[in-house]
Amino acid sequence: MLRWKKKRICRFCEAGDVYIDFRDEKRLVRFLTEQGKIVPRRTSGNCAQHQRQLAKAIKRARHLALIPFVSDIPR
Amino acid sequence: MEKLYCTIYIVDISQNPEEEEAVTSRIQQLIEDHGGIIQRINRWGKKRLAYPIQKKTHGYYVEIEFTAKSVLNIPAILEQEYRVNDRVLRYLTYVVDKKELIQRAKKAGKKAEKEAPAAEKKETPAAPEAPPAEAPAAEPEAPQVTEPAETENPPVAETEAPVTEEAQEAAQESEEKKEEK
Repeated sequence: MLRWKKKRICRFCEAGDVYIDFRDEKRLVRFLTEQGKIVPRRTSGNCAQHQRQLAKAIKRARHLALIPFVSDIPR
Repeated sequence: MEKLYCTIYIVDISQNPEEEEAVTSRIQQLIEDHGGIIQRINRWGKKRLAYPIQKKTHGYYVEIEFTAKSVLNIPAILEQEYRVNDRVLRYLTYVVDKKELIQRAKKAGKKAEKEAPAAEKKETPAAPEAPPAEAPAAEPEAPQVTEPAETENPPVAETEAPVTEEAQEAAQESEEKKEEK
């Protein structure tokens, strides 16, 4: 029931962004889990368009070693 | 059809710091020889890699934007070069999307708006970096090759201002996540 109350808004729509640039890794990192996985839409609240763009941006950034593929925290 | 391409590559400068210039001039020459027009060269500089590539921890990032007819197939030519050249650790060539240009123009506009009140407020670091940020918006019309001496770094500069806001949002989000759990 808790989930129903919270209506998430796409952050990129809120900011009025048309394109998500893979160059600013600081922004992308916020949509990654601690391990470096892409956060699902149901958690981040992104709209479909922006989630697709985001996924692409993250993958490009990973390829260029701007953000890690995996970042395991030793426990 | 004329297209705007962007190519980014990482040069290994662990052995020789001048390696970057050699590679850049080679790439530049390749693009121009095959009929491309270079619009912008942006040197991000030496950066730490998020993960080691060929056991290197640092690399020199260079971004080149150029226009060319798609028939010329310049990306394929560049890829050949990148593969042969063992100084290049990574490369990425892509066609610049219309949306990206719109977003850049927007950002440049926002920066200009911000500049007026920012000068009065305590946002001193943002002020000197504003002029180079405006340049990308004007590029598509006027082909200009920026000089190598210019060490501007827009991606970093852009993220500097809203950091505090974003940090707050991020904190909020993590709290929300905890609640859900």
